[in-house]
Amino acid sequence: MLAIGWHLVLSAISWHEVLSAMIAISWHMVLFLFLWISPHVLLGVLAVILYRRRLHREFPCFFALVLYEIAVFVPLFALSLLPRAAGGGWGYAYAYYATPMLRIALRFGVIDEVSKDLFRESRFLKVAARRSLQCVTGLLIAVGVLLAMFAPGDNSIKWIAGVSVVNRGAAMVQCGLLLSLLLFSRFLGLSWRRLAFGITLGLGASASVDLAIYALRAEFISQRWTEFLNLLSTGTDLVCVLIWIGYVLAPEHTPASPTVFPDDEVNTWNRELQQLLRQ
Amino acid sequence: MEQGIATVAPAVIAAWTLVAVGLSALAVLVYVAIYGRTSPGDLENAVQAFRSLDIEAFRNLVDSDEEAFLRDHLPPGKFREIKRQRAWAAFIYSWEAGRAATALAKVGQAAQRSPNPGIAASGVQLSESAFRLRLQTIPACLHLLDAVLLPGRQTRSLPPLVDQYERASETLFRIGRFSSAGQELARSESA
Repeated sequence: MLAIGWHLVLSAISWHEVLSAMIAISWHMVLFLFLWISPHVLLGVLAVILYRRRLHREFPCFFALVLYEIAVFVPLFALSLLPRAAGGGWGYAYAYYATPMLRIALRFGVIDEVSKDLFRESRFLKVAARRSLQCVTGLLIAVGVLLAMFAPGDNSIKWIAGVSVVNRGAAMVQCGLLLSLLLFSRFLGLSWRRLAFGITLGLGASASVDLAIYALRAEFISQRWTEFLNLLSTGTDLVCVLIWIGYVLAPEHTPASPTVFPDDEVNTWNRELQQLLRQ
Repeated sequence: MEQGIATVAPAVIAAWTLVAVGLSALAVLVYVAIYGRTSPGDLENAVQAFRSLDIEAFRNLVDSDEEAFLRDHLPPGKFREIKRQRAWAAFIYSWEAGRAATALAKVGQAAQRSPNPGIAASGVQLSESAFRLRLQTIPACLHLLDAVLLPGRQTRSLPPLVDQYERASETLFRIGRFSSAGQELARSESA
């Protein structure tokens, strides 16, 4: 039935139109392959830079996440090349939906690493701020669980909907935690180290887009939506990896110590404080 | 059909709400990325922030004895009006104290990286006090907003905020003294 339908359509349109359609399809495919492969090649570059600069010791979870993404990509790409008859379609789908659990755990590990790095210089904040973050995490998990209960997804394939809902909840918690870290640091006047800031920024961008993508994936399953969401997801991955590489390569900015302030400024400062203390 | 719409609609609304939340989070991240990380400590900003605060005036505004005196000597309507104005003024002081604390924290963190051990130690102390002060301004501001909205209720005193402010300013004063001493020492060594 479908073959007859396609035959009628093809006979009704000119060869020029068919050719244009094929070019359009191949462009879509080329774009998708580029956006899928290039982030993983760049992740390899990032892993080498992290290792050579000994940054894998400071951010071991982040380094493990980078390696994990590369390790997962290789079998997934190989499975995607297999024909459906050889188990390529379902094999790929099962493999794809089996990988997020460890990724979620590693991402939480990375968030823990950047928060430790942010509060590294203050003994007080190590306790107080981390306690606040634990409260934020608890609140976000509660919202995620409530969302999973009251908006469980309307996807016809139940286990895909289930995995999407878990991913959606995890993306929401991660996104909320990373935003809390950024806002908290601005509120307290904490200074970020360049790489920790870059990791937070990249991971935050990824988590916020993931939140939107998984929310849509839990509800919509049409071919057009899937293709669009795949492009969006791979495009975001590329942007995130570029952010990480940019921040790894950029030199660390060291803020000036107060010793370099000119004398008159310090005297003004002393005068102001003496006045304040005398009041 | 109506039943179908009724069951599907909340899930679709939830999905689009999450899309909006995700995009808003992305917008915040782009804003933070463009405007960069926290700027390094600016001594002048810290001085200006401190100059704008009159600690005694603030102490008077939140003094419970003063409040009791006003309550006893003013008609209830007038008292609530005055109390609201006083609480609002104290709220602005607290808000500014919080901003000053952020500036102090930046100066303190910069001082921590000083090669002079005295300045570095004072920097640690200053940033710790500044963080405490900053966090204390949150409940203080909420407490004062409560007093603005419900002026009839009796206000509790706010001693920790004032003490923290004074402790931070004393440490800051020490940093300034260390800084001057360091520069004088450097000048005498070069001479």
